[in-house]
Amino acid sequence: MSRPDEMAAAALPQAAVPQPRRARRIPEMLAIWLVLVALLVLAGVLSDAFLRPVYLGNIVRQAAPIGIAAVGVTLVMILGGVDLSIGATISLGAVVCAAVMAGEPANIAPAVVLACLAGAAVGTLNGALIAFTGVSPFILTLGTAITLYGVTQLITGGTAHGIVAPGFREAFNIRIGGVLPVLGLAFVGVAGLGLAVQRLTTFGRRLYLIGSNPATARLAGLPVRRTVLIAYALSGLFGGLGGLALLARSGVSGSLAASGYEFDVLAAVVLGGTTFEGGRGGIGGTVAGVLILFVAFNLVNVVGLPYHAQLVVKGAVIIAASALYRRMREARQA
Amino acid sequence: MRYARVIMLSAVVAVGLSVIGPATAQTKREELVAQAAEKVDTARFKKPGPYTIGVSAGYLTNSWVVYALAHIKYEASLHPEIKEVVVTDAGFKPAKQVADIEDLINKKVDLIIYWPVDNKAIAGALQKAIDAGIPAVNTGGGFYYSPSTTSNAYIGQWDLGEKTARQLFKDMGGKGKIIAMLPIAGHSATVDQKAALDAVMKEFPGIELLSAEHGNWNRARSKQITENLLQRFPRIDGVFSPSGQMSAGLAEAFEEAGRLNEVVMSPADEYNGWLKWVDKNQKGGIITFPTKVGRDAVQLGLEILKGQPVERGRQVPSVVIPASEVGKYVRRDASDDTWANELPASWQPK
Amino acid sequence: MMAASVTRRAVAGPPILWVAALLLALAAALLPGFFSPDNLANVARQSAVLALLAIGQTFVVVAGLMDLSVGMLATLVLVLAADLMDGRAEATLAAVGLAVALGAGIGALTGVLNNALRINSLILTLGMLTILQGVTFIYTDQSLGAPSPAITWLANGELFGLPPSFLLVLVATGLAHVALHHTRFGVHLAAVGGAVQSARQAGIAVDHVVLVAFVISGLSAGLAGLLLLGRLGTGYPNAGVGLELDAIVAVVLGGTALAGGRGSVVASVAAAVVLGMVSNMLNLLEVSSFLQMVIKGGVVIVVILIGQIRPEVAR
Repeated sequence: MSRPDEMAAAALPQAAVPQPRRARRIPEMLAIWLVLVALLVLAGVLSDAFLRPVYLGNIVRQAAPIGIAAVGVTLVMILGGVDLSIGATISLGAVVCAAVMAGEPANIAPAVVLACLAGAAVGTLNGALIAFTGVSPFILTLGTAITLYGVTQLITGGTAHGIVAPGFREAFNIRIGGVLPVLGLAFVGVAGLGLAVQRLTTFGRRLYLIGSNPATARLAGLPVRRTVLIAYALSGLFGGLGGLALLARSGVSGSLAASGYEFDVLAAVVLGGTTFEGGRGGIGGTVAGVLILFVAFNLVNVVGLPYHAQLVVKGAVIIAASALYRRMREARQA
Repeated sequence: MRYARVIMLSAVVAVGLSVIGPATAQTKREELVAQAAEKVDTARFKKPGPYTIGVSAGYLTNSWVVYALAHIKYEASLHPEIKEVVVTDAGFKPAKQVADIEDLINKKVDLIIYWPVDNKAIAGALQKAIDAGIPAVNTGGGFYYSPSTTSNAYIGQWDLGEKTARQLFKDMGGKGKIIAMLPIAGHSATVDQKAALDAVMKEFPGIELLSAEHGNWNRARSKQITENLLQRFPRIDGVFSPSGQMSAGLAEAFEEAGRLNEVVMSPADEYNGWLKWVDKNQKGGIITFPTKVGRDAVQLGLEILKGQPVERGRQVPSVVIPASEVGKYVRRDASDDTWANELPASWQPK
Repeated sequence: MMAASVTRRAVAGPPILWVAALLLALAAALLPGFFSPDNLANVARQSAVLALLAIGQTFVVVAGLMDLSVGMLATLVLVLAADLMDGRAEATLAAVGLAVALGAGIGALTGVLNNALRINSLILTLGMLTILQGVTFIYTDQSLGAPSPAITWLANGELFGLPPSFLLVLVATGLAHVALHHTRFGVHLAAVGGAVQSARQAGIAVDHVVLVAFVISGLSAGLAGLLLLGRLGTGYPNAGVGLELDAIVAVVLGGTALAGGRGSVVASVAAAVVLGMVSNMLNLLEVSSFLQMVIKGGVVIVVILIGQIRPEVAR
């Protein structure tokens, strides 16, 4: 008996071969950006503050830590995987960076490099175990997350004992021309990098092929294991970068700094049109998904609903968006 | 069935207390003082050493409690009759804390020092400890009046909230619109701080509360919430935020929005990141929330174990310190996440 | 083929049982206090809530789905039941009725949404989790109410020298075991989880089977909420945060594959008890809580990796 996911893949109707699906991705991505614009217009009607450039810059900056991490998780989810250790990885990145900096500007460069390496190492470990044992990514990365929180707490003893070097946070929080925050720009840059990997490289194309049909991909001789390994390593790397962004934005480097972020990241990726089943979506949608999530939060807040109502809205939005994508796809297939 | 009755009784007491509610700050304060002054008969807990102390932490991933725990361990080291300090951590899960307390009872510790995830949720487990002859001492921010808590070494979340509110309203000239940044929704600290704020607001009709938010003692979260509030309210005159961790994030948001000048910051506790900000901006000031309360908890516990009569609560009161004196407390070269204290260097959390 | 694999799995015993045996041996060597009747009763009581959740989750996972909403569903039931009872003995039945109705009702709603929207169950139930958390907090943002004496007794008392909650778990495990392995519903559930298309072609009412699985999951969450209320003695609105992931961990440690198609309720319950045992033993051994997390995560990773290798060896 082969693995059930392979069976499910083999049972897919032949119409669902990867190529046509890729072509169908573009209007979907357009749709999510239209939703973002519509949301912003609605927000603008309710409060003119929303359409001010400073505010828009603010949203992008707020979204940066989760957004940067979501870029990497998107790659994994295109493959049909998932990375629940991303919150713990973001925390680890922030902790390592602050600890290595130890308050010295001269340490900024090694701190940044080591934080990225730490993230990538976690991702590589996840990727290796998933690629070579075929273990369920959901449960493995959940186990990694628990372990990692324990490890960062052991390192820190429960306090964030690292010291952010002067200049580090200031550099990221500068607003170019008084409007565009450097951190927001960094988010855009990282997303662009991710988009380039996804669109322009062989690796990126393989993600979709393997994600839509792992069995066929394997039969076709694609390097499935290597691709899986690299995707998770990248997810870890972007998680480390997310940690840097979190540290830059808030100065927080505690072991639980990003605890719970994994679900916000998942929500953003799914809002962007990437599914748990894999083979669909992409980073372009994810960026819009992240921004929608943050604009929606702010909107709920501006309207004056309490935080608890935000939770209800968030849950409903996640379900509704997923259902809508499903409908759009079916309508197109029909 | 006896436990059930005790739990019911303590629930009734607690409900009764909450019904009495925030009539005025004055009556509530008198009531707390009366409760704390109540004598506790400790004869039944008297036993010879050496002692093992069990610490049931509701959580350990907050730097304040890490420093309070360091004080507990330091004080224990000064008493040769204390053989060992055993620490459990519930990681914010009340069910885990109930299990931890049961495990400590089973381990036959002589004294349980704890800080709760939720007071009511662990009252039953603590009653089991008391029934087994193990006294329970609550320590940290809050005072909890219940037969299942032998005594409290506490600072007082209500006291903190009241003093913070008074100082803020005084600095605002008794007039204006404020936002409040509270800890985790549902947490005892949040409930007490909010009640104190409400009570003091009754004395200051010129103060309007725009919004009360839950920043979960988290600097990043507090910053993000404040950014949204700045978006929502074109004018905010004052900020009620007794937690330095949250105040640091909050102040940054005001600063980045260019609206720091319009707002009066309340004093906040001696979180080093906040002290650095106060040092730099000479605003806000300090309201102490001393981590040394951990030492008082050990001393109180030892008195109980020796059968000396103690009072229901022993307070380490919060003190307001003006921004101009922050230089005595701030450690400019240390991490934001440290707390001003007087522990010897070798006992500082690493 | 599906039924055969379920049977073989049950006979060979999932790795979690070996872990349990190893832990018991370790406890015998290192922790004489572990085997005291009081401590064993403690472990049983401490594991009961998770065990109930794991039973319900097993059904959903066997169907190839996941239910992340159970932690917050249990919390909502806990808060509402606490408020309803407020310590009054005569309100016990009403609270049980509430737990059953609300648990099954929300489970049914999740099932209906799953069938109607056909979105990934993980994302659907993540949405439900978030909504339920919001609703709970809108209802109350602080502890309220209290369980009736009967509920307190159920969670903390003694019956024939055993914790009643443990007996409840045993009964629930027995019923669930029969439902999963000895009814047509159970066979259909495994078929749906194994290959949904084939199940549909074989004429199985897939939607119906999935709906029932979510109802069972919701029901077990409702009962778990009641039991947790008995443990805590108050309706704390954060009581069940994270329980859903613990439940899924227990199910997977029990050898049930997340891909669906096979699983064992007995093994899930055993895994829940093992998790409780590990936590109890580490507490008794005075292992630091941070190291406890590392060990817990490590156990999860190692056991699932062993589980991953074993079936291939067996084949």
